[in-house]
Amino acid sequence: MVNCVVCGRRAVYIERSSGYAYCERHFLKLFSRRVKRTIRKYGLFREREDIVVAVSGGKDSLALLHFLLKLSKKVRGWRVRALLIDEGISGYREVTKKDFIKFAEEWGVEYRIASFKEEVGLSLDEMVEEGRRRGLPYLPCTYCGVFRRYLLNKVAREMGATVLATAHNLDDVIQTYVMNVIVNNLDKLSRLGPKTGVVKHPKFVPKVKPFYEVLEKEVALYAVLNNIYPSFTECPYARLGVRWTIREMINKLEEKHSGIKHLTLRSLLRIISLIGGSQEGEGGPATCRLCGEPSAHEVCRACQLKMGLGLIRP
Amino acid sequence: MRVTVRVVGGEAKDVEIVGAGRKVKDVIRDLGLLTEEYIVMRGSRVLTDEDEVYDGDELVLVPVVSGG
Ligand code: SF4
Ligand SMILES: [Zn+2]
Ligand SMILES: [Zn+2]
Repeated sequence: MVNCVVCGRRAVYIERSSGYAYCERHFLKLFSRRVKRTIRKYGLFREREDIVVAVSGGKDSLALLHFLLKLSKKVRGWRVRALLIDEGISGYREVTKKDFIKFAEEWGVEYRIASFKEEVGLSLDEMVEEGRRRGLPYLPCTYCGVFRRYLLNKVAREMGATVLATAHNLDDVIQTYVMNVIVNNLDKLSRLGPKTGVVKHPKFVPKVKPFYEVLEKEVALYAVLNNIYPSFTECPYARLGVRWTIREMINKLEEKHSGIKHLTLRSLLRIISLIGGSQEGEGGPATCRLCGEPSAHEVCRACQLKMGLGLIRP
Repeated sequence: MRVTVRVVGGEAKDVEIVGAGRKVKDVIRDLGLLTEEYIVMRGSRVLTDEDEVYDGDELVLVPVVSGG
């Protein structure tokens, strides 16, 4: 058995970068300290905040909701609610949606569910089908990501959120970093900061990532130890994306060279500060002339994709 | 020694582990998996990668990565 460096009890986790082992209690303390440090360091929340947590029903977003609900008991000015985007992925989202509703009812969280089908006109499965019929490139994760971000911002704003918290962890962030570097999407790096979209557009709800400096494994362990690890399901499109391979590559690297992940995050933060855009909003300062939402171009990505699918006319 | 491993969301596997003093990380690597991607439990206990495994152990691997 391995012993906790703090109290000597049976350890549940060994931090690879430091080599220190922690028991359940001290792991949870460490986790909480790390996340609070991130919140403080990057000024993610103010004293009064109407926080909406973007949830999928997966372990990361349930863990974030759990964490912020507990923390909000100590901060008077905070209100914490949840928003789930139902993309319409059969065999997957129904399961995680159920897990989320169960959690929300247990914890008495106010929430809203917005679906692609109702808000955009087609479910993700139907978009994939329609795209195939029209001979468009097969990119489920692109449709998924663009419309999800679009709806998160729009619906959170309608809910009166002052900030939208997402459960992106260190692993997610560096995977996206590496992916964007590989496919030459350097302009997208600025949205990978811990806080984005503050001043750019009145319709843009600021986004924050409280799990920015904790590893995916640590978030999973937090969920397991708090008994909120949901049913295990996997998106049927997940393994097709580039991210799947990148994640495997980075995990293999970390296994051989401890500390690679934290180093990559530091590299990202440096680049963001060099391009001077840690506060940059992903929408950009313009307004889409078709839907009126924040956009980097004259017509936003969501409307461009809708046109491709024949949902709207130019 | 023999250890039974069940991956949550997957099937159970019996693994033959050669040698004494083998650790959780050895079992995971023998299966061709990465320790970064699983939390390992024995019963209701969470194990670290450096904990020893014993003959007849039933381990549950909880996936860390969630596709989606
Ligand atoms: S894997 Fe792709 S399609 Fe599935 S939830 Fe993630 S982004 Fe959406
Ligand atoms: Zn301890
Ligand atoms: Zn638009």
